[in-house]
Amino acid sequence: MADKHKPAPMVDEVSEFEILELAVRELAIEKGLFTAEDHQAWTEYMHTLGPLPAARLVAKAWLDPEYKKLCIEDGVKASLEVGIDWINQMPTKFGTPSDYCNLRVMADTPKLKHVVVCTLCSCYPRPILGQSPEWYRTPNYRRRLVRWPRQVLTEFGLQIPEDVEVRVVDSNQKTRYIVMPERPEGTEGWTEDQLTEIVTRDCLIGVAVPKPGKTANDPRPVRKALKPYSH
Amino acid sequence: MTEINPEKIELDQEMESRNLDKSAIPVLEKIKKQGRSWKELSNQYGVENPDPPWKITLEATCDVLSEVSCALPGIERRWEEDELCDQHYADVPFPERQLLALAHSLIRRGLIDEEDLAKHMQEVSKRLNMV
Repeated sequence: MADKHKPAPMVDEVSEFEILELAVRELAIEKGLFTAEDHQAWTEYMHTLGPLPAARLVAKAWLDPEYKKLCIEDGVKASLEVGIDWINQMPTKFGTPSDYCNLRVMADTPKLKHVVVCTLCSCYPRPILGQSPEWYRTPNYRRRLVRWPRQVLTEFGLQIPEDVEVRVVDSNQKTRYIVMPERPEGTEGWTEDQLTEIVTRDCLIGVAVPKPGKTANDPRPVRKALKPYSH
Repeated sequence: MTEINPEKIELDQEMESRNLDKSAIPVLEKIKKQGRSWKELSNQYGVENPDPPWKITLEATCDVLSEVSCALPGIERRWEEDELCDQHYADVPFPERQLLALAHSLIRRGLIDEEDLAKHMQEVSKRLNMV
Protein backbone atom coordinates (compact mmCIF):
# COMPACT_ATOMS: atom_id res chain seq x y z
CA MET A 1 0.00 0.00 0.00
CA ALA A 2 2.74 2.43 1.02
CA ASP A 3 4.66 1.66 -2.18
CA LYS A 4 1.72 2.81 -4.31
CA HIS A 5 1.90 6.27 -2.75
CA LYS A 6 5.60 6.95 -2.84
CA PRO A 7 6.31 10.68 -2.60
CA ALA A 8 7.90 12.31 -5.64
CA PRO A 9 11.67 12.53 -5.34
CA MET A 10 12.97 15.77 -3.85
CA VAL A 11 16.31 17.40 -3.31
CA ASP A 12 17.11 16.66 0.29
CA GLU A 13 19.75 19.29 0.96
CA VAL A 14 19.99 23.06 1.00
CA SER A 15 22.41 24.44 -1.57
CA GLU A 16 24.61 27.52 -1.21
CA PHE A 17 22.74 29.02 -4.15
CA GLU A 18 19.39 28.58 -2.44
CA ILE A 19 20.83 30.28 0.63
CA LEU A 20 22.28 33.10 -1.47
CA GLU A 21 18.96 33.74 -3.24
CA LEU A 22 17.08 34.03 0.03
CA ALA A 23 19.81 36.10 1.70
CA VAL A 24 19.94 38.61 -1.19
CA ARG A 25 16.15 38.94 -1.19
CA GLU A 26 15.91 39.42 2.58
CA LEU A 27 18.75 41.94 2.66
CA ALA A 28 17.14 43.92 -0.17
CA ILE A 29 13.90 44.03 1.83
CA GLU A 30 15.80 44.99 4.98
CA LYS A 31 17.52 47.82 3.10
CA GLY A 32 14.16 49.06 1.86
CA LEU A 33 14.81 48.36 -1.83
CA PHE A 34 11.36 46.75 -2.03
CA THR A 35 8.79 45.28 0.32
CA ALA A 36 7.99 41.65 0.99
CA GLU A 37 4.49 42.36 -0.36
CA ASP A 38 5.86 43.69 -3.65
CA HIS A 39 8.01 40.62 -4.00
CA GLN A 40 5.13 38.28 -3.22
CA ALA A 41 2.93 39.98 -5.83
CA TRP A 42 5.61 39.55 -8.54
CA THR A 43 6.31 35.97 -7.54
CA GLU A 44 2.62 35.10 -7.82
CA TYR A 45 2.49 36.80 -11.21
CA MET A 46 5.58 34.89 -12.41
CA HIS A 47 3.90 31.63 -11.50
CA THR A 48 1.06 32.40 -13.92
CA LEU A 49 3.34 32.82 -16.96
CA GLY A 50 3.94 30.24 -19.67
CA PRO A 51 3.83 29.70 -23.44
CA LEU A 52 0.27 28.36 -23.64
CA PRO A 53 -1.55 31.69 -24.32
CA ALA A 54 0.72 32.46 -27.27
CA ALA A 55 0.23 28.95 -28.65
CA ARG A 56 -3.54 29.36 -28.37
CA LEU A 57 -3.40 32.75 -30.07
CA VAL A 58 -1.71 31.15 -33.08
CA ALA A 59 -4.11 28.20 -33.14
CA LYS A 60 -7.11 30.53 -33.03
CA ALA A 61 -5.65 32.63 -35.82
CA TRP A 62 -5.16 29.53 -37.98
CA LEU A 63 -8.85 28.78 -37.61
CA ASP A 64 -10.25 32.30 -37.86
CA PRO A 65 -9.00 34.68 -40.59
CA GLU A 66 -10.63 37.69 -38.87
CA TYR A 67 -8.80 36.92 -35.64
CA LYS A 68 -5.57 36.47 -37.59
CA LYS A 69 -6.07 39.96 -39.00
CA LEU A 70 -6.56 41.33 -35.49
CA CYS A 71 -3.39 39.57 -34.27
CA ILE A 72 -1.34 41.23 -37.00
CA GLU A 73 -2.93 44.65 -36.51
CA ASP A 74 -3.06 44.75 -32.71
CA GLY A 75 -1.29 42.00 -30.79
CA VAL A 76 -2.18 43.49 -27.41
CA LYS A 77 -5.91 43.49 -28.21
CA ALA A 78 -5.75 40.00 -29.72
CA SER A 79 -4.03 38.79 -26.52
CA LEU A 80 -7.17 39.59 -24.52
CA GLU A 81 -8.96 36.71 -26.28
CA VAL A 82 -6.42 34.26 -24.91
CA GLY A 83 -6.64 35.71 -21.41
CA ILE A 84 -3.64 38.04 -21.45
CA ASP A 85 -4.13 41.66 -20.53
CA TRP A 86 -0.81 43.39 -21.15
CA ILE A 87 -1.81 46.45 -19.17
CA ASN A 88 -3.93 45.51 -16.16
CA GLN A 89 -2.76 42.00 -15.34
CA MET A 90 0.69 43.09 -14.20
CA PRO A 91 1.45 43.70 -10.52
CA THR A 92 2.13 47.33 -11.43
CA LYS A 93 -1.47 47.66 -12.73
CA PHE A 94 -0.24 50.18 -15.26
CA GLY A 95 1.76 48.17 -17.73
CA THR A 96 4.29 45.45 -17.97
CA PRO A 97 7.89 45.02 -16.82
CA SER A 98 10.18 47.66 -18.31
CA ASP A 99 7.10 49.57 -19.41
CA TYR A 100 6.56 47.55 -22.57
CA CYS A 101 3.04 47.01 -23.77
CA ASN A 102 3.40 46.55 -27.51
CA LEU A 103 3.15 43.02 -28.86
CA ARG A 104 3.76 42.47 -32.55
CA VAL A 105 2.65 39.16 -34.06
CA MET A 106 4.83 38.36 -37.07
CA ALA A 107 2.98 36.11 -39.51
CA ASP A 108 5.10 33.79 -41.63
CA THR A 109 4.16 33.16 -45.25
CA PRO A 110 5.41 30.57 -47.76
CA LYS A 111 8.08 33.09 -48.81
CA LEU A 112 8.85 34.75 -45.46
CA LYS A 113 10.14 33.27 -42.18
CA HIS A 114 10.46 35.37 -39.02
CA VAL A 115 12.72 34.74 -36.06
CA VAL A 116 12.99 36.72 -32.81
CA VAL A 117 16.06 37.93 -30.93
CA CYS A 118 16.99 40.64 -28.46
CA THR A 119 20.42 41.91 -29.42
CA LEU A 120 20.55 44.35 -26.48
CA CYS A 121 19.86 41.92 -23.65
CA SER A 122 17.08 39.30 -23.45
CA CYS A 123 13.77 41.15 -23.94
CA TYR A 124 11.05 38.55 -24.37
CA PRO A 125 7.23 38.62 -24.47
CA ARG A 126 6.95 37.08 -21.01
CA PRO A 127 3.28 37.89 -20.35
CA ILE A 128 2.23 35.65 -23.24
CA LEU A 129 5.23 33.32 -23.63
CA GLY A 130 6.64 32.83 -20.13
CA GLN A 131 10.32 32.85 -19.20
CA SER A 132 12.93 32.91 -21.95
CA PRO A 133 15.07 29.81 -22.49
CA GLU A 134 18.73 29.96 -21.54
CA TRP A 135 20.04 29.88 -25.14
CA TYR A 136 17.93 32.94 -26.03
CA ARG A 137 19.82 34.98 -23.42
CA THR A 138 23.32 34.06 -24.62
CA PRO A 139 25.55 36.55 -26.44
CA ASN A 140 26.34 33.76 -28.92
CA TYR A 141 22.72 33.49 -30.16
CA ARG A 142 22.17 37.25 -29.99
CA ARG A 143 25.30 38.11 -31.94
CA ARG A 144 25.14 35.40 -34.54
CA LEU A 145 21.43 35.34 -35.37
CA VAL A 146 21.42 38.87 -36.74
CA ARG A 147 24.52 38.21 -38.84
CA TRP A 148 23.95 34.67 -40.06
CA PRO A 149 20.28 33.79 -39.46
CA ARG A 150 20.16 30.89 -41.91
CA GLN A 151 23.24 29.29 -40.40
CA VAL A 152 21.85 29.62 -36.87
CA LEU A 153 18.43 28.28 -37.89
CA THR A 154 20.13 25.30 -39.53
CA GLU A 155 21.83 24.57 -36.20
CA PHE A 156 18.33 24.54 -34.69
CA GLY A 157 17.39 21.95 -37.31
CA LEU A 158 15.51 24.36 -39.55
CA GLN A 159 16.60 24.48 -43.19
CA ILE A 160 15.12 27.52 -44.89
CA PRO A 161 15.05 27.31 -48.71
CA GLU A 162 17.00 29.99 -50.55
CA ASP A 163 13.85 31.47 -52.08
CA VAL A 164 12.35 32.13 -48.64
CA GLU A 165 13.31 35.42 -47.01
CA VAL A 166 14.43 35.21 -43.39
CA ARG A 167 13.54 38.27 -41.35
CA VAL A 168 15.06 38.73 -37.90
CA VAL A 169 13.03 40.91 -35.55
CA ASP A 170 14.92 42.59 -32.72
CA SER A 171 13.00 43.06 -29.47
CA ASN A 172 13.44 46.16 -27.39
CA GLN A 173 12.18 47.80 -24.24
CA LYS A 174 8.93 48.87 -25.84
CA THR A 175 8.14 46.15 -28.35
CA ARG A 176 8.04 42.39 -28.02
CA TYR A 177 7.45 39.86 -30.80
CA ILE A 178 6.07 36.41 -31.33
CA VAL A 179 6.09 34.47 -34.58
CA MET A 180 2.89 33.11 -36.10
CA PRO A 181 4.20 30.16 -38.10
CA GLU A 182 2.31 28.70 -41.01
CA ARG A 183 -0.21 26.01 -40.22
CA PRO A 184 1.38 22.68 -41.17
CA GLU A 185 -0.08 20.17 -43.56
CA GLY A 186 -1.74 17.19 -41.96
CA THR A 187 -3.73 19.26 -39.47
CA GLU A 188 -6.90 19.60 -41.54
CA GLY A 189 -10.01 19.30 -39.38
CA TRP A 190 -8.06 19.69 -36.13
CA THR A 191 -9.60 21.51 -33.18
CA GLU A 192 -8.13 24.61 -31.55
CA ASP A 193 -6.89 22.48 -28.64
CA GLN A 194 -5.15 20.03 -30.97
CA LEU A 195 -3.50 22.86 -32.88
CA THR A 196 -2.44 24.62 -29.68
CA GLU A 197 -0.49 21.53 -28.64
CA ILE A 198 1.88 21.67 -31.62
CA VAL A 199 2.69 25.38 -31.35
CA THR A 200 5.71 25.07 -29.10
CA ARG A 201 7.73 27.85 -27.50
CA ASP A 202 10.46 27.41 -30.13
CA CYS A 203 7.88 27.80 -32.94
CA LEU A 204 6.78 31.07 -31.34
CA ILE A 205 10.37 32.35 -31.21
CA GLY A 206 10.79 31.22 -34.82
CA VAL A 207 13.59 28.67 -34.45
CA ALA A 208 11.25 25.74 -35.15
CA VAL A 209 8.12 25.11 -37.18
CA PRO A 210 5.05 23.21 -35.99
CA LYS A 211 4.67 19.59 -36.98
CA PRO A 212 1.84 17.15 -36.28
CA GLY A 213 2.85 14.95 -33.38
CA LYS A 214 5.59 17.27 -32.11
CA THR A 215 4.48 18.90 -28.88
CA ALA A 216 7.75 19.59 -27.04
CA ASN A 217 10.85 21.67 -27.58
CA ASP A 218 14.07 19.90 -28.49
CA PRO A 219 16.96 20.21 -26.06
CA ARG A 220 19.13 23.06 -27.33
CA PRO A 221 22.86 23.45 -26.82
CA VAL A 222 24.02 26.59 -25.07
CA ARG A 223 27.09 27.92 -26.84
CA LYS A 224 29.58 30.29 -25.33
CA ALA A 225 30.80 33.36 -27.15
CA LEU A 226 34.55 33.39 -27.69
CA LYS A 227 34.99 37.13 -27.91
CA PRO A 228 34.91 38.94 -24.58
CA TYR A 229 31.82 40.86 -23.68
CA SER A 230 32.09 44.56 -24.28
CA HIS A 231 29.85 47.43 -25.10
CA MET B 1 25.08 48.43 -43.95
CA THR B 2 24.62 47.86 -40.22
CA GLU B 3 22.23 50.13 -38.43
CA ILE B 4 23.33 51.13 -34.96
CA ASN B 5 20.57 51.15 -32.41
CA PRO B 6 20.46 54.64 -30.79
CA GLU B 7 19.23 52.99 -27.57
CA LYS B 8 22.49 51.02 -27.50
CA ILE B 9 24.68 54.09 -27.97
CA GLU B 10 22.91 55.88 -25.13
CA LEU B 11 23.27 52.86 -22.84
CA ASP B 12 26.89 52.38 -23.84
CA GLN B 13 27.62 55.89 -22.67
CA GLU B 14 25.69 55.46 -19.45
CA MET B 15 27.37 52.16 -18.60
CA GLU B 16 30.77 53.62 -19.41
CA SER B 17 30.17 56.56 -17.10
CA ARG B 18 29.23 54.24 -14.23
CA ASN B 19 32.48 52.30 -14.55
CA LEU B 20 31.30 49.58 -12.20
CA ASP B 21 34.04 47.70 -10.36
CA LYS B 22 34.02 44.23 -11.89
CA SER B 23 36.67 42.67 -9.64
CA ALA B 24 35.96 39.34 -7.94
CA ILE B 25 34.02 39.29 -4.67
CA PRO B 26 35.34 36.70 -2.16
CA VAL B 27 31.98 35.63 -0.73
CA LEU B 28 30.65 34.99 -4.23
CA GLU B 29 33.87 33.30 -5.35
CA LYS B 30 33.44 30.86 -2.48
CA ILE B 31 29.88 30.03 -3.55
CA LYS B 32 31.04 29.69 -7.15
CA LYS B 33 33.60 27.08 -6.09
CA GLN B 34 31.64 25.22 -3.41
CA GLY B 35 27.98 25.67 -4.33
CA ARG B 36 26.17 22.69 -5.81
CA SER B 37 24.11 23.59 -8.87
CA TRP B 38 20.53 22.52 -9.41
CA LYS B 39 21.62 20.35 -12.33
CA GLU B 40 23.95 18.41 -10.05
CA LEU B 41 21.41 18.14 -7.23
CA SER B 42 18.45 17.20 -9.41
CA ASN B 43 20.53 14.48 -11.09
CA GLN B 44 21.62 13.11 -7.74
CA TYR B 45 18.11 13.08 -6.24
CA GLY B 46 16.26 12.07 -9.43
CA VAL B 47 14.19 15.25 -9.59
CA GLU B 48 12.80 16.06 -13.02
CA ASN B 49 12.04 19.77 -12.64
CA PRO B 50 14.61 21.48 -14.90
CA ASP B 51 14.68 24.67 -12.81
CA PRO B 52 15.50 25.17 -9.14
CA PRO B 53 12.53 26.20 -7.00
CA TRP B 54 14.20 29.55 -6.30
CA LYS B 55 14.34 30.55 -9.98
CA ILE B 56 10.91 32.21 -9.89
CA THR B 57 11.73 34.18 -6.74
CA LEU B 58 15.04 35.25 -8.28
CA GLU B 59 13.17 36.52 -11.35
CA ALA B 60 10.73 38.34 -9.07
CA THR B 61 13.65 39.96 -7.21
CA CYS B 62 15.10 41.17 -10.51
CA ASP B 63 11.72 42.56 -11.55
CA VAL B 64 10.91 44.39 -8.33
CA LEU B 65 14.39 45.93 -8.28
CA SER B 66 13.69 47.27 -11.74
CA GLU B 67 9.97 47.91 -11.87
CA VAL B 68 9.10 48.82 -8.30
CA SER B 69 12.14 50.46 -6.75
CA CYS B 70 14.12 51.39 -9.91
CA ALA B 71 17.23 50.52 -7.84
CA LEU B 72 18.61 48.32 -10.60
CA PRO B 73 17.07 48.83 -14.06
CA GLY B 74 16.57 45.58 -15.96
CA ILE B 75 18.72 46.43 -18.95
CA GLU B 76 21.66 47.54 -16.83
CA ARG B 77 21.39 44.40 -14.76
CA ARG B 78 21.42 42.26 -17.90
CA TRP B 79 24.43 44.05 -19.33
CA GLU B 80 26.30 43.67 -16.09
CA GLU B 81 25.21 40.02 -15.97
CA ASP B 82 26.66 39.42 -19.44
CA GLU B 83 29.91 41.08 -18.53
CA LEU B 84 30.26 39.54 -15.07
CA CYS B 85 29.41 36.06 -16.36
CA ASP B 86 32.01 36.52 -19.05
CA GLN B 87 34.68 37.52 -16.53
CA HIS B 88 33.84 35.45 -13.46
CA TYR B 89 30.93 33.05 -13.82
CA ALA B 90 31.24 31.55 -17.29
CA ASP B 91 31.55 28.01 -15.94
CA VAL B 92 28.61 28.29 -13.55
CA PRO B 93 25.35 26.87 -14.92
CA PHE B 94 22.21 28.97 -15.44
CA PRO B 95 20.32 30.29 -13.44
CA GLU B 96 23.03 30.03 -10.74
CA ARG B 97 25.23 32.46 -12.67
CA GLN B 98 22.33 34.91 -13.02
CA LEU B 99 22.03 34.86 -9.22
CA LEU B 100 25.78 35.38 -8.69
CA ALA B 101 25.79 38.26 -11.16
CA LEU B 102 22.80 39.89 -9.47
CA ALA B 103 24.49 39.69 -6.05
CA HIS B 104 27.70 41.03 -7.62
CA SER B 105 25.88 44.02 -9.15
CA LEU B 106 24.06 44.81 -5.90
CA ILE B 107 27.30 44.75 -3.90
CA ARG B 108 29.32 46.81 -6.36
CA ARG B 109 26.53 49.36 -6.62
CA GLY B 110 26.54 49.68 -2.83
CA LEU B 111 22.95 48.50 -2.53
CA ILE B 112 23.94 45.65 -0.24
CA ASP B 113 27.17 45.11 1.68
CA GLU B 114 29.46 42.13 1.17
CA GLU B 115 29.98 41.56 4.89
CA ASP B 116 26.26 41.87 5.58
CA LEU B 117 25.60 39.32 2.87
CA ALA B 118 28.13 36.85 4.27
CA LYS B 119 26.64 37.25 7.75
CA HIS B 120 23.07 36.97 6.54
CA MET B 121 23.91 33.85 4.55
CA GLN B 122 25.12 32.21 7.76
CA GLU B 123 21.86 33.10 9.47
CA VAL B 124 19.77 31.82 6.56
CA SER B 125 21.80 28.62 6.40
CA LYS B 126 21.32 28.03 10.12
CA ARG B 127 17.59 28.64 9.76
CA LEU B 128 17.11 26.38 6.74
CA ASN B 129 19.15 23.58 8.26
CA MET B 130 17.54 23.64 11.70
CA VAL B 131 15.64 20.42 11.27
